[in-house]
Amino acid sequence: MEILFVLIPLGVTLVAIAAGVLIWAVKSGQYDDLESIGRRMPDDEP
Amino acid sequence: MTASAYAVYDGDELRDTVSAPVAGGRREVLIGVDGMHCAACVGRIRKLLAEDCADPRISLTSRTLEFRFDPDQTQLSSVLERLDRAGFKPQVLAQDRGLNAMVGERRDALARIGVAVLCAMQVMMLAWPSYTDGGVIDPRIDQLLRWSQWVVATPAVFYAGRPFLRGAWHAISARSLNMDVPVALSILIAYGASVWRTLAGSGETYFDTATMFVMFLLIGRFLESRTRALAGERLRRLAGSRQLTAQRETAAGIETVPISVLQAGERIVVGPGESVPVDGVLLDTAAELDEALLTGESRAVVHHAGERLLAGSLNLGQSPLRLTAEGVGAATWLAQITHLLQRAQTERPRFQILADRLAGVFILAVLVLASAGAALWWHAGIDHALSVALAVLVASCPCALSLAVPAAIAAAGSRLAAIGVLAARPQVLARLPAVDTVLFDKTGTLTMGELSISEVTVQADVERDTCLALAAALERGLTHPIARAFSAVPSRLFALEQIQEVGRGVKGRIDGQDYRLGALAASAPEAQDGSTLVALHRGEQCLATFRLSSTIRPDAEATLDALRAQGIAIELLTGDADAPAQDLARQLGIERVRARQTPEQKLARLRELQSQGHVVLAVGDGINDAPFLAAADVSCAMPRGAALTQSRADLLLVGDSLAALAPARRIATLADRRVRQNIAWAVIYNLAVLPLALGGVLLPWMAALGMSLSSLLVVGNALRLGAADRVLGSVSHSGESPLTEVCA
Repeated sequence: MEILFVLIPLGVTLVAIAAGVLIWAVKSGQYDDLESIGRRMPDDEP
Repeated sequence: MTASAYAVYDGDELRDTVSAPVAGGRREVLIGVDGMHCAACVGRIRKLLAEDCADPRISLTSRTLEFRFDPDQTQLSSVLERLDRAGFKPQVLAQDRGLNAMVGERRDALARIGVAVLCAMQVMMLAWPSYTDGGVIDPRIDQLLRWSQWVVATPAVFYAGRPFLRGAWHAISARSLNMDVPVALSILIAYGASVWRTLAGSGETYFDTATMFVMFLLIGRFLESRTRALAGERLRRLAGSRQLTAQRETAAGIETVPISVLQAGERIVVGPGESVPVDGVLLDTAAELDEALLTGESRAVVHHAGERLLAGSLNLGQSPLRLTAEGVGAATWLAQITHLLQRAQTERPRFQILADRLAGVFILAVLVLASAGAALWWHAGIDHALSVALAVLVASCPCALSLAVPAAIAAAGSRLAAIGVLAARPQVLARLPAVDTVLFDKTGTLTMGELSISEVTVQADVERDTCLALAAALERGLTHPIARAFSAVPSRLFALEQIQEVGRGVKGRIDGQDYRLGALAASAPEAQDGSTLVALHRGEQCLATFRLSSTIRPDAEATLDALRAQGIAIELLTGDADAPAQDLARQLGIERVRARQTPEQKLARLRELQSQGHVVLAVGDGINDAPFLAAADVSCAMPRGAALTQSRADLLLVGDSLAALAPARRIATLADRRVRQNIAWAVIYNLAVLPLALGGVLLPWMAALGMSLSSLLVVGNALRLGAADRVLGSVSHSGESPLTEVCA
């Protein structure tokens, strides 16, 4: 079970990275408009 | 508005009013776009803007467009002109810091929720061994798990949970109690006790309790604030739409100009139901105004000639009023929009106000109970006393209760928005299911709003075009459907002493002679085909009659059938004459019809129905419907009607289609049922669990788990509303939803 001393801190580090990425995504405005983005593809006719 | 009028928005004096600086020397601007109805329009606008800005935010629900541009390369006016030429009517809304603050707050809340969810899940996983083990776990690994939980729980408590800690701190420094106090207390007790035990290396930790607590409370708050923000956004759009332009009266006639070009001393005309664009002095002898937005006084205020009118007050009169501009510039308007937005932010649902009032008592009771629990178990040692106090705090937290209503309202609100109905006041969801009678207005509601002149019959020795010009001058500045039919007619004439008499027409003085334009007297032959006949009189002489026809809305019949299927009585109240009213009723199968109704009679009929115990939904669009809409249990306005009527309505049909009415009631019924189920569950749960916690049977982690499951149950129950696709099924065949609506 010694491996837990590596795995658990690794898990915690991964959560920290995930939280960091999420905060970056939110603050850069990627979650501001969830409504019109979905309609953009059918709008972009060639 | 002519294209050149947009040039004023490039000037320095307006720069800070209409746009706000953002990073990189660019500026951000918010524009209201009328004439944007569907996804295809959104695509066209995006293409139009492609060269000036990379990523415009276009909202179909609030009909707003927000984009960033580089002032050195792009002239704002050229973008506006391009939109105008493409057939969209751009209206620059003042850029207030409220919007940026709102976007910032939303981002903040989302980031906090994200961190809380991630941390809570992780802490739960790390705490799992201690839920299940029977003392077989290696003590070194046990200690590793504790330390890891501490590391993960810290950002959840101090970053995600900061709003609660700060709220509690503010309340305590102001020597009062709010909901944040017990929340912050339980978070800090749970966290503090856990840290202490982690350092001591023995005993139970409550990091899981603390993080889950933060997570669920954050989600509840977010849902609640989102519902309010949605209503606020619509209000901003409504308030903004008329405020940057004014009708200026000059020797050449009346022209619409941006208020930014108005000079002090110029004359302005304010149509009925419109709001006063700038501060000014009243020129008419008397005017009735609604200053609720400025003063909170909801009754009409009468002003006399020479008195000062404030920007933002609404003209309640039936005729346009004139004033001399005084407080010119954006200052008055900005003050008003700020006020409006603050009101939208602070106007909370009634249950919330009640909850706030009860909160003080409740919180005190919780704190007393928790201390009592601790005192009761003091003999068993401080560890046990602490555990009981924490269990009581967690168990009594009305988490599920605080989620119950906002979650259901948020789910119903987005479902309603998807079918083109905007619920301006959250209370409406509770009242809509009880509705058993619907009162419809005719023109603009059951029929298309726009009348057009289909026939002109000249009765005297006058030119046809002269008659049209006279009629157009009489109707200028009015918002009644009849007036709009004449608005396309060019006229150089100008009517003085223009008076609109409800149900009787309009009269005025042109070139020194009295003219009257109104419905034909009862003795005259009525139109048999449902069209409206109006006659133009000079003194007592009839000059001409105009036949105005309107068409029934294509979705009216299906809507009425759907409403009848829900067991709702339908009644038609109209100011129009008998024949067109009866004709329309025959076509739509309406049995109860009242024609030639004055606003007072409509109101009286409404009160009569209400006194018989009926719950009434009123649907209308015109300024003459405003009193009866205001008195109705639920009011619903059409999007092309008068601004006053719209700003007072509970429901707004943004898709300009009646089809959404019946599904909206079904959604509200479902939402109401969910709210009741949720509240019942939450109350029963809290009451059942509290004695267990006091008795020391319920450990803190069980209380936290129970609270979480209970919250999940409540949210899941509310979200079932969103998944109820059978609700939408009825829209697709009774009319087109706004998303598939095709632009003409």
